[in-house]
Amino acid sequence: MIEIKLVVNNKPYTLGVEPSERLIDALRNRLGLLGTKEGCGEGECGACTVIMDGKTVNSCLVLAVQANGSVITSIEGVGNRRSPHPVQKAFVEVGAVQCGFCTPGMVLSAKNLLDKNSKPSNEEIGIAMSGNLCRCTGYDKILRAVKIAAEEGKE
Amino acid sequence: MKTSVVGSRVVREDAWGKVFGQTKFPADVNLQGQIYAVVIRSPHPHARVLGINSEQAMSLAGVVAVLTAKDVPNNSHGVLFRDQPVLAEYIRMVGDPVAVVGAETEEIARAAAKLVEVEYEVLPAVFDPEEAMMPDALPLHPTLRPTNVLYHMPIRRGNLQEGWAQADVVIEKEYSTQHVDHAFLQPEAVLAHVDERGHMVVETATQYAHYDRGEIAHALGLRFSQVQVKTLAVGGAFGGREDISLQIMAALMAWNTLRPVKMENTREESFYSHSKRHPMRMHYKTGATKDGKLVALEAKIIGDAGAYSSWSINVLRKSAVHASGPYVIPNVSIDSYAVFTNNPYSGAMRGFGAAQTVLAYESQMDLLAKEIGISPLEIRLRNLFKVGSTTATGQVLTGSVPLDQCLAKIAPYLQRGGDSQ
Repeated sequence: MIEIKLVVNNKPYTLGVEPSERLIDALRNRLGLLGTKEGCGEGECGACTVIMDGKTVNSCLVLAVQANGSVITSIEGVGNRRSPHPVQKAFVEVGAVQCGFCTPGMVLSAKNLLDKNSKPSNEEIGIAMSGNLCRCTGYDKILRAVKIAAEEGKE
Repeated sequence: MKTSVVGSRVVREDAWGKVFGQTKFPADVNLQGQIYAVVIRSPHPHARVLGINSEQAMSLAGVVAVLTAKDVPNNSHGVLFRDQPVLAEYIRMVGDPVAVVGAETEEIARAAAKLVEVEYEVLPAVFDPEEAMMPDALPLHPTLRPTNVLYHMPIRRGNLQEGWAQADVVIEKEYSTQHVDHAFLQPEAVLAHVDERGHMVVETATQYAHYDRGEIAHALGLRFSQVQVKTLAVGGAFGGREDISLQIMAALMAWNTLRPVKMENTREESFYSHSKRHPMRMHYKTGATKDGKLVALEAKIIGDAGAYSSWSINVLRKSAVHASGPYVIPNVSIDSYAVFTNNPYSGAMRGFGAAQTVLAYESQMDLLAKEIGISPLEIRLRNLFKVGSTTATGQVLTGSVPLDQCLAKIAPYLQRGGDSQ
């Protein structure tokens, strides 16, 4: 066991983790943050996306020990039913949610884009979302939802 | 007819839970005291299991049970025929499950799975459906079919000889499609436990909960009323969750150990666990007059069912029915076949057999148009189904047949894009 300190969704934690433990395992199994999904375990699908120190990462490719000292946002740290994030609101209203397994990762990639770039072009949106696969193939509505969220944020 | 729902925008009920990450997929549910189970799968496409030695695996601390074919009361399941073993003694494809290991943690279960020794007698395998159709090929399911031809669907209409006599242009080509995996984003997962009533409760993501229930009950030798299947959020399916994957193995482990059992596939395991889209070999011969009217079609479609029947009969039936496309052809002979091989088994996937034939009949249309010297759009306009048209199966279309409207809408795009060749 190795001790790490990290901040997840604004809460500080000290965790004992295994050397081979992945960040997704620590989030899901130790912290009970089950909104982070594992789709492939090899960084292809983006379902396990979290924001780590301002960058989106595939939490299946990050060792828990590598997250020592990091600030992490998982889907549980973004919005709620009383005040959804503009991205979440747009996803629901546009119909960008189908099976929903990719949705947490999609929302985090979109949020991180808008945190840094409030007026993204279509191309910038495409690039920011390119690490997240949707097998229901709802990409058009997903990209539209990000665009709408960006426009709402501007007002 | 007026309705307040059709045509209006409705927010789907489950979308909010999904954008907040609250929705429970089967990997997201757990029970106190649960064990983890891992499957040992055959690396051989055709083999007999001669013996399984689980002594070393059982001696690993934390291993609870290793179950094999002899532990399954009724060792079969399947949507059309129960031709698929829960745990196999006779292997028909790479990935057939031979044993399942239950342990206190997933790590121990995976380590123990590597210690289970399986002795195989490797048999010659057949991967080419046309080879498998040969009369001397070894039948893979002799109790179900005397040969590997699981299904043959003939469709005959008009008089083919007359059709060829009228044809000024004939195009004859062979088309083939490959295996496709659904790759639904959420790998299979199950949580199974025996509840306080002594009932088998299985929580999973499935397209077919009532069928799962029946197959679990059958395999475990339980009454339907003793089995409950709860469908949690389904992370994509596209046909790939119509057959049984881990459900019976998890239930069997829970029934034997009286512990809650969790199973989760990795992506790699998921590829081995469920059906694929049928690869099809399609031999097409299509004739048209010089003014672009279709007069004859002869098609032979061979679908690779793989190791088990799953939905192959229904899928290849649909291929045959759709083989002439949305076009009026007066003289038709279509034969579709579903054939057993030692490939991964094929089953339901979006389109259900109708998708593959599109490649063949639409390519034929383009080639005929080129040969005749009219545009790809024009040849379609001259042959498409309208209200009152008769299909190759003799169905008279009386309902909505808006193909002309569809083509009118895409015509400007075709012209802008130039020659589709």
